[in-house]
Amino acid sequence: MTESSLPPQQNPPVRRRRAAPSGPVAFVWESVLMGWRWLARMRTALYLLAALAILSIVATAVPQEPNVPSTVASWREGEAGPGVGVSRVLDAVGAYDVYGSAIFLAVLLALYISLTACLIPRIKAWIRLVRRSQPPVVRHLGAQDERTVFVTDRSPAEVRASAAELLSRRRWRVRRHDAHADDPRPDQVAAETGLWAREGGSLVFHLSFYVLLAAIVLGQLLTFEGQRGVVEGDPGFRDTAVSYWSYSPGRWFGEGDHQGWRLELERFHVDWVRDPLAPGAGQPTVFRSDVRVTPQDGEPFDAVIDSNRPLNLDGTRITQLDWGYAPRVVVEVDGEVVHDTFLTPVLTDGGFFRGAVKAPAADPDVGMDVFFYAFAPDGEDGRPVPTGAPWADAPLLVFQLFRGDLRLGATQQTINELDVEELTSQGFGALRLGQSLELEGVTVSFPELRRWVGFQVSSRPQLPYLLAGSVLLIVGLLGSLYASRRRLWVVTMEEAAAAPRTLVTVAGRAFQRPEAFEEEFADLVAELMAATDGAPADPHPTTELPTALPAAETTR
Amino acid sequence: MGSDQLAELSRLLYFPTTLMLYLGASIVYLYALTTTVGRTDQRERGRLARRLGGILAVLGITAHVAHEIVRGLAQDRLPLGNMFEVTSLMALVGVSVGLIHLQFVRRRPELNGFVLLGGALVLGMGMLMYAEPGPLMPILDTWWRTFHVSLLVGGMGVFAAAFVFNALYLLRDTGELAVAAERSRAGGGSTVGAAYVGDVSDGAATAADPETAGTSSGPAGEDDELDPDEERDRAELLAYHRALRRGVPPVKLALGTFLGTSLVSWVWLTTADTWSAGLGRFLAVNLTMVAAALVARWFVPFLPATATMDGLAHRTTAFAFVLWTIGTIAGAMWAEVSWGRFWGWDPKETGAFLTWIAYAGYLHARATRGVKGRGAAWIGVAAFIVLMGTYLIANYVIVGLHSYADL
Ligand code: HEM
Repeated sequence: MTESSLPPQQNPPVRRRRAAPSGPVAFVWESVLMGWRWLARMRTALYLLAALAILSIVATAVPQEPNVPSTVASWREGEAGPGVGVSRVLDAVGAYDVYGSAIFLAVLLALYISLTACLIPRIKAWIRLVRRSQPPVVRHLGAQDERTVFVTDRSPAEVRASAAELLSRRRWRVRRHDAHADDPRPDQVAAETGLWAREGGSLVFHLSFYVLLAAIVLGQLLTFEGQRGVVEGDPGFRDTAVSYWSYSPGRWFGEGDHQGWRLELERFHVDWVRDPLAPGAGQPTVFRSDVRVTPQDGEPFDAVIDSNRPLNLDGTRITQLDWGYAPRVVVEVDGEVVHDTFLTPVLTDGGFFRGAVKAPAADPDVGMDVFFYAFAPDGEDGRPVPTGAPWADAPLLVFQLFRGDLRLGATQQTINELDVEELTSQGFGALRLGQSLELEGVTVSFPELRRWVGFQVSSRPQLPYLLAGSVLLIVGLLGSLYASRRRLWVVTMEEAAAAPRTLVTVAGRAFQRPEAFEEEFADLVAELMAATDGAPADPHPTTELPTALPAAETTR
Repeated sequence: MGSDQLAELSRLLYFPTTLMLYLGASIVYLYALTTTVGRTDQRERGRLARRLGGILAVLGITAHVAHEIVRGLAQDRLPLGNMFEVTSLMALVGVSVGLIHLQFVRRRPELNGFVLLGGALVLGMGMLMYAEPGPLMPILDTWWRTFHVSLLVGGMGVFAAAFVFNALYLLRDTGELAVAAERSRAGGGSTVGAAYVGDVSDGAATAADPETAGTSSGPAGEDDELDPDEERDRAELLAYHRALRRGVPPVKLALGTFLGTSLVSWVWLTTADTWSAGLGRFLAVNLTMVAAALVARWFVPFLPATATMDGLAHRTTAFAFVLWTIGTIAGAMWAEVSWGRFWGWDPKETGAFLTWIAYAGYLHARATRGVKGRGAAWIGVAAFIVLMGTYLIANYVIVGLHSYADL
């Protein structure tokens, strides 16, 4: 018999209370009840799981705004993807943010209601079972999965005591039965195992979803995550709400929850496999920041943040997110310095870094679209040849100069993006490190090159609860998949013809994984025989064995 | 030896050595299956074939392990860093776990050939992703990663074995259903048909179980002469075999396999440099799978009872599900440590989640009485398509945070 063909009664019987609605709300009540019952069916849970799966497929196929906003933007504008029309439809159904969409939340809610509807009766039934149930005493041992007979010189009572002791030691729940006048069932030890663990494991597994959900909701409220780039040797930044470039606090995370430390980047180490013929050419080999941290009221100390070793500051985690070169660009207009800072351009798909200069101090504003090539050695004709290599052996700064209105504050723009709507191009220029160039009355120089690192600062108080939920999930899963429910009976009979011999019949039943039970059963029998000096029954016993009786029937 | 020579050696150990040994072992084991109905001398040959298959399989696994070790030495790190290495290890885990489970736990060695065939297919697919040995990105170089990836790769391998069992179950079940339908039609009524169906399952048991087959006609076969009764029984059995095979329509099977494989293999169209190379890979993968399906169809009469394969599929899936669950949680923990966020719906994370949900669907279906059997097996097949699809898509089509397609 395989598990799939087992009758449903292997699970504790689920009692449904009958509702007797009356009055005008009866209709509503009945509908609710019907919906609840529908949700409590496992088939419904299967459909809902399938719906969840389909939604994640959509999320895999369609770019997701929280992950890749730029791709989504280009889909919306029709530059990539299936076109503007389809894009509108995708937007309307929330396909660009599946995990934040109403449909996803509705499916999740339905799953949780379904889970609840399923679990309440199961928990009740389980508690009932664990509290009350005793292994059943059998009358006949006919049709069990496993059955063996052996003989021993010990008395029946001794054998039963040994069996009870052996099984208790193996943590079976044991029930002894001695025949008496009102109860003709034979003397026996009845035992059961796996009852708690299997159904209990399944319950713990499913209940862990509530723990995980609670932890995730808690996280939405209490978490904090911010990103900030820091240039080597700069004063760095302080942990306050306004210092982050991007900042997403949970609803309950207040400004006072910041710890106010200061972080400086002393040096950033990065290197690659530089030999183009070596295996893994171009791959980074080192990615490490030496930082200096000054707590709000404490002594500064040095620390190292490595790729897999973030810095922990009282529950706040600081991780390296990305990095780039930080060219110092000085812009002078009519002998007056209007811009002198380190840029923080980011790496693009083209193998170069892209950033922007914005100098509103000039009149009209000066803007520069900056392309930084780390390794662009001079070619044979003396012109620089950009390579995709990221090491700064021959840095080259290429820019397009603009004058006009930067529209700062008027439009949303990141520090590395230029809004060229109101700007007019003044031409292009290229600079090596240490050079300067004059273009239309604007002098641009590139005196220094450093590096910057993008740090992520996060605080997630929900992590211990998530971990606890995961542990429950795994433990419950192991129980529900690997604990197996089994019953065992040891029936003893005085053998009349050859007294003092005891005829011992051991029979067992496996509710799950019968094939594994064969060996467990053989082991148990062998141990019991060893404990009672048993010998295999002779093939032609003089007494009629209990098996000769008609079909098995178990009774309580 | 320099690392170049080590790299060359590791490649030779993989292809052709391991691939050929797996294929050879698979063919020999499958041949052994066909000898379970026949005369004594044939059964003797079957025993020899099984022994030879066992030797080839052990040699294959040894070569495979040697490949992993040499590759590890060549690049001075664990070979778990890119698609090729992951796929190769997936085949190794699938073959080893599958064979050990069948041989020693379930004592069903007659299915070894199919597991080896599955392993050879995965190994061959790995050839399409071959990458020279090289160092690892520092972000990937951590104990967390080893833990997380090993569990998921182990899970994938075991899921692959479960897929083989599900597919064989469906083939055999389809054949049996067709024979039962045919007999009930021939019998002209359901009652009579039922009697024939009982007869059918007897035949199935004889065919499936070499021991039973051996004892039932063993003594008579001693002198290689079958008496007329035995001859007739044998003819009936062979007719039953043909009927089972006929029950699985080959064209439908080939088309279904082609289309089913296409759900995943379209990825090859997008990954090659040129369109025709992509089409070549796509067709190679699809036609190999079709060929494997047709081979499996030929062996339908020799398969064990459907309940056996159903049980095997369930237990292997359950085991892989545990590995997958722990591996995914470990991945989230690693992501928290190295990226400062534990879950971000990155394509790979979505893929792992999706696969998890799909296999949870299978386990639920198995636990529900209404859907068990064929329904559950189909969900199992679909779940494997989800697994392979998300694995390839997340690595080749969408480049996410932890894609290592470009390594
Ligand atoms: C949310 C709605 C869910 C419902 C109503 C539900 C219901 C059930 C029920 C009634 C069983 C017991 C089957 C039995 O022993 O006869 C079960 C088992 C199980 N459930 Fe769920 N479940 C839900 C969600 C999930 C999810 C999200 C997962 C994980 C991905 C999951 C994984 C499992 C597993 C692994 C089993 C054990 C199957 C077995 O005993 O072989 N369930 N579920």
